[in-house]
Amino acid sequence: MKVSAFRQYRALLRKDIVMELRTKEMVTSMGLYAMLVLIIYYVALSQAGQAFDVTRIAAGLLLLVVVFTSMLGLNRSLVHEQDQGQLEALLLAPVDRPIIFFAKATTNLLFLAIVEVIIVPFFLIFFVSGAVVPTGSTVAVSQSGPAWMTALALLIGSIGIAGVGTLLATMSVNTKGRDFILAVLFIPVMFPLLLVIVSALSAVLTGDAGYAQTFWKMCAIGAGYDAIMIAVAFALYEFILGV
Amino acid sequence: MGNLIDPTNTELYALVLKDAPYVIVAYAVLWVALVAYVTVILRRMLKLNREIEVLSEVVDSKAQAGE
Amino acid sequence: MPDTDGAAKGVGSVKRQLQVAIILAIVGGVLTTAAFLMAFTTARVQTFGTIDAPAAVETTYPPAPAAMQPTDGTGVRYQRPWLSQKIFYFHVPIAEASFLVFTLAAIFAVLFLVKRKQSYDTRSRIGMETTLVFTIGTMITGVMWTRASWLTNWSQLGREMLSEPRLATYTIMLVFVIAYFVLRNSVEDPERRAVYSAVFTIIAWIDAPISFFITRMVPSNHPIVFQSGMDTTNLIPFIIAQIGMLMLGYAIYALRVAEESSRDTLTVLKEQLEG
Repeated sequence: MKVSAFRQYRALLRKDIVMELRTKEMVTSMGLYAMLVLIIYYVALSQAGQAFDVTRIAAGLLLLVVVFTSMLGLNRSLVHEQDQGQLEALLLAPVDRPIIFFAKATTNLLFLAIVEVIIVPFFLIFFVSGAVVPTGSTVAVSQSGPAWMTALALLIGSIGIAGVGTLLATMSVNTKGRDFILAVLFIPVMFPLLLVIVSALSAVLTGDAGYAQTFWKMCAIGAGYDAIMIAVAFALYEFILGV
Repeated sequence: MGNLIDPTNTELYALVLKDAPYVIVAYAVLWVALVAYVTVILRRMLKLNREIEVLSEVVDSKAQAGE
Repeated sequence: MPDTDGAAKGVGSVKRQLQVAIILAIVGGVLTTAAFLMAFTTARVQTFGTIDAPAAVETTYPPAPAAMQPTDGTGVRYQRPWLSQKIFYFHVPIAEASFLVFTLAAIFAVLFLVKRKQSYDTRSRIGMETTLVFTIGTMITGVMWTRASWLTNWSQLGREMLSEPRLATYTIMLVFVIAYFVLRNSVEDPERRAVYSAVFTIIAWIDAPISFFITRMVPSNHPIVFQSGMDTTNLIPFIIAQIGMLMLGYAIYALRVAEESSRDTLTVLKEQLEG
C-alpha cells in the first residue's frame, strides 16, 4: 500500500515532535543558550552609558541571537538522527526523500520559532522599549514599528535558516568537524539573507520616517532568496542522503 | 615612440600623485603571484612527466622480458 | 581512484591538453602585458572630479565644461586626472576570470551529481582552486583601488568592505572558496567528499550572479563598467586585457587538469609495475 506524501510528512513530523515532547531537549537547550547570549549582551552594553541608543544596533543583536541559537539547534537535531541511526532507518523505509527534507526543515523551523516566541519579547523589553533617544535638548522614547512586522521579518529569516540549514547540517554531521563545519558553511550561505533581514528589522525597530517602504522591499528580497535557496536545497538534498 | 604616448599620460606622470604607489604595488604583487603560480605548476608537471617516462620504460621492458 | 582507461591514451590526451594550456598561457600573457603597456602609454587619462586653479595653466587636460566653472569668476576649474582608473585594465578582467572559473566549477559539480564520474569532481575541485587564485587577485587589486580612489585612510577599509554590496558579496565569495576546501578536508570517504563538495559548490555559486549584478540593482559606490562610456584609446587595451585574462584563467585551469591527469597516469603505471 502506498502511503500518500502528506501522510508520510505528517508521520515524520509527529516522530520529531513526540520525541521533543518526551525529552524537551531541543527547546530547553536552545532557549537556555539564547538567554545566555542575552546576558552577554547585557554585560557588553553595561558600560555604554545613558546616551547610547541601543535601538540603532538592536536589529543586529536580535539577529545574532537567532543565528547562534539556530546553529546550535540545527546541529543538535541532526546529530540526534545520526547518533541513533535514525537517518539510515528512514532511508530503508519507503519514504520519498524530498519528504524527509521538508519534514526535517519544518521541525527545525518549528523549534526555532518556539524559542523565538520566548526570547524575542524578552529582548524587546530589555533592550529596545526602554531605550531613550536624545533629540536636541529633549529626550524622547523611540517609536518602533508594529510588532507583527518584527515577527514577519524574523519568520522570513527563520524559514531561510531552517531550509538551507537543514541541508548544510545534514552534510556537516557526517564530517569530522561537525558544528565547526556547520558554522563555516552556514554563515557565508546565509550572508545575503542576514543582511536583508537585519535591514528590515532595523527599519521596524528604529521606526525612522519611511521605514515601511524599506521594510517591504527587504522582505520581498528576503522571501525571494528563501524561495531560490529552498528550491536548490530541496533539489540537492536527495544527493547527500545515502552517500 | 613619442607620439604613441598620449600627452595626458606624460603630464600625469610628471605630477606627484599620492595614489600612484598603490596602483604599481597592485600590478607588481599580481604579476609576481601569477608568474610564480604558473612556474610552480609547470615545474611539478615536468617532474611528473619525467617520472611517467621512467616508469613507462620500466613497464615496457618488463612486458618485453615477460614475453 | 584514477580513471583506468589505459595509460597510453591518457598520456596522449594529457600532452595535447598541456600544449593547448601552454599556448593559451603564452598568448594570454602577451595580451595582458600588451594591454598593460597600452594602459600606461596610449590610453588617454580619464578624468574624475574637478580641481580649481587660481588662473589658467598650461595643461593637456581639458578645462571643465562651462556649466561646471565657478560662478564667481575666481580661477579656472579643471577636471582631475584619475590615475587609479588604470587599475581597471587588470582588476575587471581578473574579476571576470574569477566568475568564469567559478561557473566552470559549478557546471562540473552539476555534471558530477548527474553522471557520478570521478573526473568531473577533480575538474570541479581544480576550478575552485583557480577561483581562489583569481579571487585573491581581484581582492588585492580591489583593495589598492579602494585605497587609492575612495578612501583617505586604511581604517575606513573594513567598514567599506562590509557596507558596500559588491565588496561584501565578493568577500563572501572568497569565504565560500575557503569553506569549500575546509569541507573537503574534513570528509574522509572519497565518494561522500565528492558529493558534498559538488552540493556546496552549487549552493555557493548562487552568490556569483548576486555579486555580479548587485551594483546594477542597489545603490553602490562601486563603479559599473560602461555606465559612463569609455574613450576608444581606453577601450582597446581594456578589451585586449579581458581576452588575455580569460585565456590566462582557462590556461591555469587546463594546466592543473593536465597535472592531475598525469598524476592519475602515474598511479596507473605504478599499479601495473606492482601487479
